Amino acid sequence: MSRDENPFGELLQDYVLECLPLAEQIADAFVELERQWRDGDPADDLLASLAGRLHTVKGNSAMMGLAPAQEVAHALEDACGLLRRSPERRTDASASLLVAGGELLADLVRNAAPDLDPVPAASFVERVRRWMEAEVSLLPGTLPERRRADRRTGSDAAGSGKVDSVVRVDFRRLDAMLEVLGEGLIQHSALAEAYRGLVRQTGGCDELERLDQAVLALEKTLKRLESTLMDTRLLPISTVFGRFPRMVRDTAEGAGKRVRLVHSGGETPLDKAVLDRLSEPLLHLVSNAIVHGIESPDARRASGKPEEGTLRLDAAPMAGRVVIRLGDDGRGLDELAIRKKAEGLGHEVRSEDAIPLRSLIFLPGLSTADTVSALAGRGVGLDVVAGAIHALGGTIDVATERGKGTTFTLSLPVTLAIVRSLIVEIDHERFAVPLAHVAETVRVEPETIREINHRGVTQWRGDLIHVADGGAMLGTAADRIEPRRFYVVMAAGGRRRGLLVDRLVGHQDVVVKGLDPTLGRPDVVSGTTILGDGRVACIVDAVRILEGGRRAG
Amino acid sequence: MRHSFLVIDDSKLHHQMYRLIFSRGSLAGSTVYFATNGKEGYGLLAAHPELTLVLLDLNMPEMNGLEVLERRRAEALHPHIPIVLVTTEGSVEDEARGRAAGAWEYLRKPFQPADVELLVSRAVAQSATTA
Repeated sequence: MSRDENPFGELLQDYVLECLPLAEQIADAFVELERQWRDGDPADDLLASLAGRLHTVKGNSAMMGLAPAQEVAHALEDACGLLRRSPERRTDASASLLVAGGELLADLVRNAAPDLDPVPAASFVERVRRWMEAEVSLLPGTLPERRRADRRTGSDAAGSGKVDSVVRVDFRRLDAMLEVLGEGLIQHSALAEAYRGLVRQTGGCDELERLDQAVLALEKTLKRLESTLMDTRLLPISTVFGRFPRMVRDTAEGAGKRVRLVHSGGETPLDKAVLDRLSEPLLHLVSNAIVHGIESPDARRASGKPEEGTLRLDAAPMAGRVVIRLGDDGRGLDELAIRKKAEGLGHEVRSEDAIPLRSLIFLPGLSTADTVSALAGRGVGLDVVAGAIHALGGTIDVATERGKGTTFTLSLPVTLAIVRSLIVEIDHERFAVPLAHVAETVRVEPETIREINHRGVTQWRGDLIHVADGGAMLGTAADRIEPRRFYVVMAAGGRRRGLLVDRLVGHQDVVVKGLDPTLGRPDVVSGTTILGDGRVACIVDAVRILEGGRRAG
Repeated sequence: MRHSFLVIDDSKLHHQMYRLIFSRGSLAGSTVYFATNGKEGYGLLAAHPELTLVLLDLNMPEMNGLEVLERRRAEALHPHIPIVLVTTEGSVEDEARGRAAGAWEYLRKPFQPADVELLVSRAVAQSATTA
């Protein structure tokens, strides 16, 4: 039987989707083992629980002809087997070996490819072998020779394998393909519009009926192409989560804290472009939680908490978006101090004011170093984090309880490339408002919008919200007299605001194109898109409009 | 001749692999049923007496491969359908227990499509002689 070429090569992505969460769990478990051994806990159950996962990763890697991952999983399996038999070897040195191996395994799975550099795996396997032989000299009777022979045949079998049906693609090419698809979608819309025009003019005939069928079929095909292409761009969020266990361990050590990281939902898929830009703000939040949120072991003991703090990181898909929660069981935010500080910065923030704490802590002024103690240390750079999340089309929210802890909730779009939008018309120009931030569209009734302090205000679902003119906001060139007929209620992170428009055109998935810098648009526009009729439309940055709600208006 | 197969495996990756195997060469056009745990797999086995072959993974949540084999033997459910126990290297003891519990053959990972094809042709030949 020929082993030259792996017959399952085309399943590489399925392999990563299935094995990466397992490999991440293994890597995390090793960090956890190290921690428990330091505490003098033999952690027998945890050690035993790893066997199944290692076995699965080994088997799947072998099936895929991915020798390095297979060999590392095999070596770790052997090492864990030995550790189960020999509790006296559960030392810091052994734990470091496992932690390094877990991380290497996760890396190998994450970057799975037939042409992966075999050297790191081979040298790790060698390290494990030497570590195991230290045992052999104490306990004659184990069989290092047989193990080595096993491994050699294993690597011969798979080492020569090449998987022809898998191609690694530069991510920019996927972007380019999406752009072409976007053009296809636009052409389809143009076709559909031309068809409707014909029906209006001629009243319809059999030929037109057939044209209609063809246009519909084309739309279905394009949608299928779109979803296939989107799937190609998606990676499990564990590619970001995977970096955290080690980082948490190191940061906690540096800060003199004891912190346990629990995470779930690593298999949740996200566009690679979102993942790339998510990791930094998320790292920032995690390190903030460790450094400022979780108290020192002494302080925790004094307030009746376990010395070890817990950091919880969860991800889950929710209504077409991905929600990430990061919670700590630390000291929580000092709301009074934050309000005082914000007031000092010139914001009107009486505690009875409707402005919630969650809006205040993301204010830029609160990120200076001297607020650290006043804010229980949580002001650091949160405005930067919020800015990065908003730039992704995401929202960030916080819930906190004094002495109990703080939870940040992030909601992110699965992709940045296509945005489901409400198309509106203002002064004969079209704009796309991302539906994620649209709460409702309302027809303007006479006398319902009043003016208070030169700003439009209306009653919406029992609350007073500001309503701004879309033309003024988005800089359309018009001197109009006719009143606008609708307003769009936009919402994010507890803020709401109405935007007056002339016409609601409809819903559409728009393919985002970058912003032409010469366009001279205000900063409340985040990008452009091309509509079905070939017109360029600006994409409204709803989050920014909501943020700027206090000064512009 | 059209064949039908039952795959009982908790790994979606393995489902995809079997899907590839059963869509190629002489096996193209076969019907394949998939179950993600032993319990579900046992139900499908009961519902399909016409199966050519069953591929049963050893390690699964909710009734593992050995439990499926044991229950099937205890209830004498379609004893004519050959069941292949799928294992990973280093599970020699499990393979022996699988045989004892009524597995017709075992298949060790990593395997190739040809390994599965061979098992299928043996199963077909055997059913022809016993029929």
